[in-house]
Amino acid sequence: MKVAIIGAGVMGLSTAYYLSKLGAEVTVFEQKYLLYGASGRNSGGITPMIDKKELIPFALKSLELYDKLPAEVDFNFLFRKDGYVKVAASDADAEKLKKDVRIQNELGVKSKIVEPSEVKELVPDFNPDSIVLASYCSESGVIFPWPVIWGLARGCRENGVEIKDQTAVDEIVIEGGVRGVRAGGEFHKADVVVNAAGAWSNKVSEKAGVKLENKILKEEICVTESIKPYLDPYIYDITYGVYLSQSARGEIVGGITGREVQEISTDSTLEFAARYAKRATQLIPMLKGLAMLRQWAGVYDEGKDGLPVVGFTEVDGFVQANGLGKHTGMIVAPALGRELARLIVKGDNPNLKEFSPRRF
Amino acid sequence: MVKERKIVCRCEDLTEEEIIHAIEEGYDNLESLKRYTGATTGACQGKGCLMHIIRILSQKTGKSPEEIGVTTQRPPVNPVPLYVLSEGGESE
Ligand SMILES: Cc1cc2nc3c(=O)[nH]c(=O)nc-3n(C[C@H](O)[C@H](O)[C@H](O)COP(=O)(O)OP(=O)(O)OC[C@H]3O[C@@H](n4cnc5c(N)ncnc54)[C@H](O)[C@@H]3O)c2cc1C
Repeated sequence: MKVAIIGAGVMGLSTAYYLSKLGAEVTVFEQKYLLYGASGRNSGGITPMIDKKELIPFALKSLELYDKLPAEVDFNFLFRKDGYVKVAASDADAEKLKKDVRIQNELGVKSKIVEPSEVKELVPDFNPDSIVLASYCSESGVIFPWPVIWGLARGCRENGVEIKDQTAVDEIVIEGGVRGVRAGGEFHKADVVVNAAGAWSNKVSEKAGVKLENKILKEEICVTESIKPYLDPYIYDITYGVYLSQSARGEIVGGITGREVQEISTDSTLEFAARYAKRATQLIPMLKGLAMLRQWAGVYDEGKDGLPVVGFTEVDGFVQANGLGKHTGMIVAPALGRELARLIVKGDNPNLKEFSPRRF
Repeated sequence: MVKERKIVCRCEDLTEEEIIHAIEEGYDNLESLKRYTGATTGACQGKGCLMHIIRILSQKTGKSPEEIGVTTQRPPVNPVPLYVLSEGGESE
């Protein structure tokens, strides 16, 4: 079976990797370079503390895969499991955290509610007055997204996958069903075409004549200068959308969760820098003197009902693998890609029912 | 044991040898090379090393500096402490 995958982000590459293990002949097309999409611009927060119950089993599975994959592909993902804290700054959000933790626990996630004073035990210099309540999960942490992508790419190549960067797919050739793609001026035959184009997925889907109405979100993020290991868990303030963690290089990496946009743009704004700095230093006042070195932005997509869109479409051989969503794409992609590979090779996979494009 | 070390990026303590090694590993365009080695992402944000990186890349790949281009320059131009930035806006 010949499969063409559009997009070399975490979703495209994990799908390619698991497809190659099942014996498919895979080519991945990337319009720019490997870290160009959201997978090369995100904050690497990995936790099963998700507020969408459909995604939790995939997060738990991905945690296992993130443990196994580095050895499999011979590349260190620099995954540091020092925990993940979600904080709420309003009573309504505190209630939401409690409800989310109940559901998570039912599904086997070892998350728990913690008081502001307990957050201070997890994070030195945390200001407990800046929040109302928090939740915590120790089996979570921060991964470095770049080695995830380089490592998956390496594993793919070892298994014979061809990765064509700087090669945009311009056309999806359909005659009855999928026949192949046209990219970089050449025709490439394929039995199956996978749309793993992230924020560009609506546009790519159009090329197959299939309507996809994913939301596009833009998210800004920044890093400070490096300091010694200081901040263990990933912190995410669900009220302000502000999050921060320390990278493997010692930088404090932080941002504000994405907002829906009409057009894809990766401009940086001063407004973001100011809003972020204000809330980050309320949470951890000691960060005040730390200098911001660099800010950037990324774009990702989300299914219009908030869930990923993964599976066969009405066009024979055309598959969606997008809409991975806010703060969840890196978390669910390995397991989602693995299940999708099974779906493509076997023609059916009940584990992906909830994400089928046919649900709309 | 001190070999001749040509430091290219002072912030990240990268030698010319390391940059060449990365190019040979396949990180042979500026954006990939920058991310793989960390060159231009340190405290000086490339002010000290970007031109050296482009020179080495040009020598190794045979591409002209124009073809290689430059990396996206990110704000702020110079490091700014968070307390200064936090005075610039309201958190809603
Ligand atoms: C600032 C930020 C912070 C985030 N933080 C987190 C976090 O902490 N945890 C988490 O789990 N998630 C986080 N996310 C979300 C996560 O990064 C995304 O959900 C995930 O990376 C999406 O992966 P993807 O493979 O679907 O898309 P992408 O990584 O965007 O990959 C799609 C690729 O398709 C390519 N492409 C598009 N059109 C074409 C074409 N026609 N031909 C060829 N190639 C094409 C693009 O160039 C792109 O490289 C964050 C995102 C951002 C932006």
